[in-house]
Amino acid sequence: MSLETQLSSDEKVLTIHMEEKFDFGKVQDFRDAYLHVDEAVNTIVVDLANTEYMDSSALGMLLNMQKTMADKISTFKIVHCRPQVAKILKISRFDKKFDLS
Amino acid sequence: MRILVVDDESLNRFLLIHMLEEAGYTDCFEAESGREALQLSEKIKPDLVLLDVVMADMDGFETAPLLKKMAGDIYLPIIFITALDDQDSLAKCLEVGGDDFASKPFDKIILTAKIRAHARTRLLSKRASKQNEELNYFRIGVEREHAIVEHIFSNALTINKTVAAYFDYRLAPASSFNGDLFLIEPSPSGGIYFLMGDFTGHGLASAIGALPVARAFQAMANKGLSVSEMASTINKTLMTLLPGDMFFAAVIAEIASNGHQFTVWNGGMPDLTVFTPAGEVTKHFQSQHMALGILEPYEFEENVEYFDANIGDRLIGYSDGVIELTNVAEQMLGEDAVLSWLSESPDLPVADIEEKVEAFRGNAEQLDDITFVSYTCQSLEALRPEYTVTQLPFNIEVDLCVEKLKTIDPIYELVIMVCSQLGMQSIRSDLSTVLSELFNNSLDHGILHLDSTLKKTTEGFFEYFDQRTDRLAKLKEGSIQIRISFAPENKTLSVELEDSGQGFDFQNLGGNHDSDAFGRGIPLIKELCESVEYSSNGTKVTATFAV
Repeated sequence: MSLETQLSSDEKVLTIHMEEKFDFGKVQDFRDAYLHVDEAVNTIVVDLANTEYMDSSALGMLLNMQKTMADKISTFKIVHCRPQVAKILKISRFDKKFDLS
Repeated sequence: MRILVVDDESLNRFLLIHMLEEAGYTDCFEAESGREALQLSEKIKPDLVLLDVVMADMDGFETAPLLKKMAGDIYLPIIFITALDDQDSLAKCLEVGGDDFASKPFDKIILTAKIRAHARTRLLSKRASKQNEELNYFRIGVEREHAIVEHIFSNALTINKTVAAYFDYRLAPASSFNGDLFLIEPSPSGGIYFLMGDFTGHGLASAIGALPVARAFQAMANKGLSVSEMASTINKTLMTLLPGDMFFAAVIAEIASNGHQFTVWNGGMPDLTVFTPAGEVTKHFQSQHMALGILEPYEFEENVEYFDANIGDRLIGYSDGVIELTNVAEQMLGEDAVLSWLSESPDLPVADIEEKVEAFRGNAEQLDDITFVSYTCQSLEALRPEYTVTQLPFNIEVDLCVEKLKTIDPIYELVIMVCSQLGMQSIRSDLSTVLSELFNNSLDHGILHLDSTLKKTTEGFFEYFDQRTDRLAKLKEGSIQIRISFAPENKTLSVELEDSGQGFDFQNLGGNHDSDAFGRGIPLIKELCESVEYSSNGTKVTATFAV
């Protein structure tokens, strides 16, 4: 099942809504969500509001997105992390690489 | 138009009534004396009285005030009919309550003109009286509604007493309803959320928005949502509810379970300030956003500020009603004054601050709602949710053969099994992550011999997952055993995985750079667990959790 995505009305911000689990089972879906974005998009937001847990492959997927899209996208944001998920991102020092909120 | 003619001469009455009928006033009554006039007017409620002065049984001067009294608040015009023409008598007509006089013999044109003029005034008086009555009815209705709304507010906006004990705060509304709002809720992880806000204006109109905000805040706090999500959800709610000229300046903050880490979203409120016990300011959380209920969701910015204070430090926040408070000399209190009080006496209780604020205000009217909030960093140990943990020692053993490895993802179900035991819910998220890591390491490296370094490049990252799918499909033999056991004596849950593979170099799995898309698993587990131990050349691993 593909992930829910949403384009802002000015077509510059793509938001990807992750589900309850964010682990390697989402590799393909996650990649599909961002790979073919329109030229105009300059910001990708990963919304983790519904995510209850993530593992290290999810971390890898996030970094991989950043590497793949670095020349097209200027800002990568991770938003709405629950405390447990925020803890994992912090342990992994993701706050230095992503805009966390 | 009902006219009462009072005269003891029947000829006069006849002439008058005839004249009135000619002028179109057909609803006329007559009385022979003042006494009869009083009795009659009680029954017929006249709109105007033509009153003779000199009568045998109660004269006009005596009757006029009594007629007026009977008419109550509504203007009853009394026109004296008199043959007297001395100034004193005419003046007396008006003094006793008459409104006009007409001299005998009557001039028809003048008299009907006078009647019309007084009728107009009576109509106005009737209207005013009716409006008064309606206004009174309305006022009583409003009072009743206020009482109901006040009741609802006092029930809906109750503050959780357990967490309120960690705060020193005062709310002083300028009128009976408060446009300022202060809410506190415990977070599921053992910290505290609080919201301090200020609706445009004050009174009922500005207080009404507090209800949806309070409900949304409480629900989101129970779920343990992030401060930024709370801000954007409340913004969205208010955007649809509030009229365009109304908004809600607010601070939404979370205090971490350690009691001294703050996450703050500030939109349009005065700074939140952190003081050390020595009175030194170490942090201002300035407003970085517009107030809630102004920006469309796509324009809304939800970024928050973090600050790690120390135990004993004090976080102070207040509404603009404090700093914009004006004294009789029309001077504003200002932010600097408040901050200097606190720098001089860093442990000044809020009640004392309030006293200083009141002293400054003096006799000037309080124009806006005032809120003052103080939190001193302390251990929140007592707030940690008390889980009753199961007293049963239990074991869950799963033996996954090749077929199972190919077809199912065991992590989700295992987590449900464990977390359905009493008290295990608290480690749900960590257990999910750790089990997933351990299982994937065993499967990927122990059994499928995948090479993590493949993930170094972007293409390799996906190549890795392709290989994984491919090798798993072709796998002929291999198994993974998972044993999860709980020891109630020391509240320890241990997770053990053993695979049939050759083992792997668990020590060198880690990547060397922050930017490597691999090798994060084991360091992550080490942070989340009490202990992690690989043995038998990496084919066996045991991780333990404190529950």
